[in-house]
Amino acid sequence: MDILTGMRVSSSGMAAQRMRLNTIASNIANVNTTRTPEGGPYRRKDVVFEAMPEAKSFGEILINQPQKDVARVQVTDVAVDRKAPLMKYEPDHPDADENGYVAYPNINMMEEMANMIQATRAYEANVSAMNATKDMAMTSLELGR
Amino acid sequence: MADLFDKTTRALGASVNLRQTRNNVISSNIANAETPGYQAKKMDFENALSRALDFEDMGNLEGSKPEHYPTGPGALSRVRADIYENPDVSVNNDGNTVDVEREMTALAENSIMYKAAIQLINKKMAALKYAATDGGR
Repeated sequence: MDILTGMRVSSSGMAAQRMRLNTIASNIANVNTTRTPEGGPYRRKDVVFEAMPEAKSFGEILINQPQKDVARVQVTDVAVDRKAPLMKYEPDHPDADENGYVAYPNINMMEEMANMIQATRAYEANVSAMNATKDMAMTSLELGR
Repeated sequence: MADLFDKTTRALGASVNLRQTRNNVISSNIANAETPGYQAKKMDFENALSRALDFEDMGNLEGSKPEHYPTGPGALSRVRADIYENPDVSVNNDGNTVDVEREMTALAENSIMYKAAIQLINKKMAALKYAATDGGR
């Protein structure tokens, strides 16, 4: 386990948080979307994170125990929210049903904003960790100077 | 047999090595700060390192398990870090126990101590170089 392991772990965290930000952006952008390729209104998406033991290669796993103490993070799934859509009475809307109700995505704007701030902060924490690791690696190049 | 590098330098080298591992453990905690069910890890090596400093002057005792304390020459380079799930935490709603503030503090502290060790090694090297070049001539 070398110092670059730490950088790989931090970059996995950054990639995961960026993925989360993308889904949040998609949720916010589609807050009023009533049509989707799979039919019906847009449904809220949420990422599922999973900790994965960091191992470089199959050979390393064969020789050593996989490093279960150092884990990168991975987006294993994008979960689709199963909450019922919001029904609004808009008889003039082209997507209104026979009773005049339109199905809108059940997205809570406040919740998305709070998640967005959380994801941004988590991303920044990973950037700081990556910088600290890089700093250490650069300092070790000073050895013997 | 006298070594080129003295005990202090070897202890510093071991500490640099272990601090790299600790940096990886802390990075892993920060990356998984939002992972449901992830348990924050903690790493201890200070006690093991100071024990190895004492045990290095002893004869070499053959240990049958990697968990046994290393003794004899080279004990410092065989110090094992103790990585365990941090018991001193509060659990989130999703079962995650990472405290990002604490991890960032630990990260900064570890980084500073790492750099300090590197600087000390450099001072040691400079002294060696001074002697090797006959007083800088």
